[in-house]
Amino acid sequence: MVAVNPIYYIALPLFFAFLLPLFGKIHKELIRIVPGLLYAYFLGMSFYMLRHVFVTGQPYIVEIAGWKAPWGINLVFDAFTGLIITFISVLAFLVWLYSYRFKKVEFDNALKYFVLLMLVTAGSMGIVMTGDIFNQFVFLEITGLSSYGLTAYYRGRDGAEAAFKYLLIGSLASTFVLMGILLIYTQLGTLNMADIARNIHLMKPSLKIAAFLLLFMGFGIEAEMFPMNGWAPDAYSQAPGPIGAVFASMTSKAGLYALIRLTFTIFDFSSVSKLLFIMGLLTLLFAEGIALRQEKIKRMLAYSSIGQIGLIMVAFSFNTYLGVFAGIFLMINHALIKSLLFFSASYLAYNSPKKYIKDIQGFGKVMPITSFLFALGAFAIIGFPPFSGFWSKFYFLLAAAQKHYIVLIVLILSVSLVELVYYLRVVHKLYFAKPTGDYEPHSPNWNGMLAMILLALVIIAIGVYPDLVTHYIDKAAVMIMDKAQYIHNSLGI
Amino acid sequence: MNTLVLLLLIFFGGGLLTYLAYKISKVVGDILIAILGLAGAYVFFTVSSQTSLTFSLGGFTLGLGFSEYSWIFGLLLSILAPLALIYSIPYMKGHDRLEWFYMLFLFVIGGMFGILMAKDWVTLFIFWEIMTWSSYLIILYSRKKGLDKIGLKYIFFSAIGAYSLLTAIVVIGGTMRTLSIAETISLFGVLPLKAQLLIGILLITGFGVKAAVMPLHVWAPDAYTNTPMSFSAIFSGAMSKMGIYGLGLVVVNMYLNHGIGSVGHWLAWFGAFTALFGTFYAVVQDDARKLLAWSSVAQLGYIVTGIGIGTKLAVFAALYLALLHGLFKGTLFMAIGAVERQAGTTKFSELRALIRKMPYTFLSALIAIIALAGIPPLAGFVGKWMLYESLITSGHYWVVIFLFFASTAGFLYSYRFLFGVFLGQEEDDYKDVKEAPALMTLPMLLLALVLIVLGTLPGFIFKPLAYSMQGLGFTDISYHMSVLTNSWGNSVSLPYISWTLATVFVLFLIVITWVNHKGTHNVSTKDIHTAGEPPSEEDNYHFALDFYKPFMRSIAPVFKYSITRIYNAIGRGIEDFFEYVRRFYTGNAQTYALYVIIFFAILLLLANQIF
Repeated sequence: MVAVNPIYYIALPLFFAFLLPLFGKIHKELIRIVPGLLYAYFLGMSFYMLRHVFVTGQPYIVEIAGWKAPWGINLVFDAFTGLIITFISVLAFLVWLYSYRFKKVEFDNALKYFVLLMLVTAGSMGIVMTGDIFNQFVFLEITGLSSYGLTAYYRGRDGAEAAFKYLLIGSLASTFVLMGILLIYTQLGTLNMADIARNIHLMKPSLKIAAFLLLFMGFGIEAEMFPMNGWAPDAYSQAPGPIGAVFASMTSKAGLYALIRLTFTIFDFSSVSKLLFIMGLLTLLFAEGIALRQEKIKRMLAYSSIGQIGLIMVAFSFNTYLGVFAGIFLMINHALIKSLLFFSASYLAYNSPKKYIKDIQGFGKVMPITSFLFALGAFAIIGFPPFSGFWSKFYFLLAAAQKHYIVLIVLILSVSLVELVYYLRVVHKLYFAKPTGDYEPHSPNWNGMLAMILLALVIIAIGVYPDLVTHYIDKAAVMIMDKAQYIHNSLGI
Repeated sequence: MNTLVLLLLIFFGGGLLTYLAYKISKVVGDILIAILGLAGAYVFFTVSSQTSLTFSLGGFTLGLGFSEYSWIFGLLLSILAPLALIYSIPYMKGHDRLEWFYMLFLFVIGGMFGILMAKDWVTLFIFWEIMTWSSYLIILYSRKKGLDKIGLKYIFFSAIGAYSLLTAIVVIGGTMRTLSIAETISLFGVLPLKAQLLIGILLITGFGVKAAVMPLHVWAPDAYTNTPMSFSAIFSGAMSKMGIYGLGLVVVNMYLNHGIGSVGHWLAWFGAFTALFGTFYAVVQDDARKLLAWSSVAQLGYIVTGIGIGTKLAVFAALYLALLHGLFKGTLFMAIGAVERQAGTTKFSELRALIRKMPYTFLSALIAIIALAGIPPLAGFVGKWMLYESLITSGHYWVVIFLFFASTAGFLYSYRFLFGVFLGQEEDDYKDVKEAPALMTLPMLLLALVLIVLGTLPGFIFKPLAYSMQGLGFTDISYHMSVLTNSWGNSVSLPYISWTLATVFVLFLIVITWVNHKGTHNVSTKDIHTAGEPPSEEDNYHFALDFYKPFMRSIAPVFKYSITRIYNAIGRGIEDFFEYVRRFYTGNAQTYALYVIIFFAILLLLANQIF
């Protein structure tokens, strides 16, 4: 079938991103409409393909330019990558919807925004789908460069500083990744992930460790792993509002995906999950604790987001079916809920230059629906049933209990208490304090409101009826655990 | 449709419907909530113990259905809930955002029914949390200053409880491979002792928070005080019983029925301490609502003690008291709500002599207080009789002393409540106070009537209680309709006491009327408490100030140690610690780059250890 092909996820945004200025010459509104149409198409395509993969059990494999893997580059849309692509598509569409009228009067700025948005989604999807490790590096660079641009989007000292930090650490990440790839290539002479995975035992152990650590560092930076995540809070808080959601739900997830692929498929270390466990736990503890002491709302959300990623790492490090299942569920929930929080928080703090929490106090009366949606997001991320956050947390704890990690459960739940306190403090500020009157609230336009309400409905729907997603997650979890199947899918052996 | 689903639908679907109804018109909403409350109670009574439902959600097999044991709590809820809702209609008149309040109110009730009909831990936990956050939002509802702190305290402690529950649930799931409550109970004996203790203590902590067992009680007095009183009636009357329900499951079904008694004994001690100190705190309050809130904490202590002792009679007494506490504390919160609405305050130092202004409210409060204090002929006496007997026969003499002291001190606050609000010197300040509307007094009087009937004929409630006890593994409970017996062969005929007291009372009334008939003439009440001497500046003008000064002086050492202070210190310590940790992120790009390099170096150095 011609209408659906995984390559479109990468080719079309790149293609249209370059053509967008031309569209802008034809009609100014087209720079907004074209990305939307593209994302709507992706949305339909993802659901169609995921359904197809789910029913037939056959993944979509594309070999670019007709070169068979391991010589050519292949894209894999299987139960696991497909699920991630699908929710990236959902979020991309909602981000577009939310920011449809972004910078309405400034054509150049809007153009820049939409071009970068398309590039960052293309990059993230590429990282997830590609079966070639060097290709993954290229997509990492595309994602990184467009993210730096988005971070520095608002011209000013703070934005430039944040982008510089991101750039500095991000280029370290690419260097690490590139060196890791070089080591593997010199040893095995292949760049295809499945092929590497098949032959990884042929590598010299010391070089294998070095290669793994280099790649782990590189993708760890992108996944905001402690202690290499210093750039992240700045980037989250300086980028335009919806981009916070993009960072939380796409770029960091792409980095995380790469880490998972490294540990589960490419390398054959049995003890590496221990490393992932420790780093995930440290990430979680540090980030959630520091979030407690934040005075700016977007920084608070950023730290909370980092903490969630730590939790997801811990879930994957269990190396059991239930752990992976919980990890994927956490990924989906985090993408959905954190996006809702970023969406609503950036409307709440729209005109406030520093985005202090005290700037949004008393907005429960001024912006009732946005405040309500923020509160709903807070409830969902804390894990109150019947919102979706509950189920992922529950599966996570079940997975931990299955491994008899009682201390870990206590630790995670203590962290949840901290999380509860800092989120509800903001909710209380919204509803209890009097507005300071320092700045004028900016009420959301219809498209932003629609995006937020859609997200809230999805969160409630999954919370009330988790079977909407659990079947897909089940297949995805089986897929990621099955290394042989991945190699078979990619190489046909 | 399955009646269980219907019951949940009435409260959850009805809650959403109520939201819309109040948006349309207040009258429609008022009618709707009364109908929903009554319909819920009606549907509850049509549910039989065979009605059940199994469904699959998120990969778990879940089940709904009342057990014998949970049915009795459902009975309390379906008496209290419709009355509180009806009472609420005039009580909440004139408040804004009613749609929000009633939606949450119905969610809380629905959540409680859900807890009671949960056959597995997942369902129980889901409804538990829905109940918790709905009640949390009700605390925040009036948006008064300072409520955010109280709300946060409530939700924080509830979360500690909920997370203890959750930990226990996943440990059960992980070790026993089942999430069904019944299977957990029947397989509990197979577990090693360590796992038994871990699971049980976590569950007890979880349920204990809602049952306000010290030292997890700190949320309760503030939370009970700061919701609209129509909700406090449910909050203290019924929601705290969800904790009791769970404690019964753990202590009796899991521990005692598998031969582990020591945990229950510890719990009994916690309960006794709660009863004693809760009473102390209740005595010294100046706000009547706060007095009731602390009294709830104390009364829950008695119930927890009974559950903890775990003999047949003790559990029976505890369940009886639980039921009764729901009824009389519901009445009292409604009464004080009526006072609050009519007189505008609930402080003893401001209120006085409302007896003539609000006679029906007084009457129901009087009956409820007598029931609370455990004075014959009202129902509280029966509960205490059984509780003390069970404690003595099982040899817990020290607990008896504690409880005896607590219930004696309990008379102090009982009297203060009546006297401070309704009796004393009449003043012009409250000249224009009128009795509350009929829709408020009727539910109170109805509950008071139930208390009178149960005091004379407790057999009416013994029958369903005995049925419920089967769910805890206690069979062949012997009871009489109206005679209390004990193991030493004594027996008390309740109608005899009631009729004697009633006769004496009536005779006394007749005699006093007869004797004073001739000399009777109407006088207005005057301020005579200074006995003719002109009071000086520093004299105490209001009798309710420093009401129990000597008593307070004697228990002052108790108040020196406050658990709240310890909690606050811990909280501050954690915040300070993270403030320090925060400096790790310096904001300097070079430092961040350095971290990356150092981390890489560490990884390389430790590579041999890791791989």
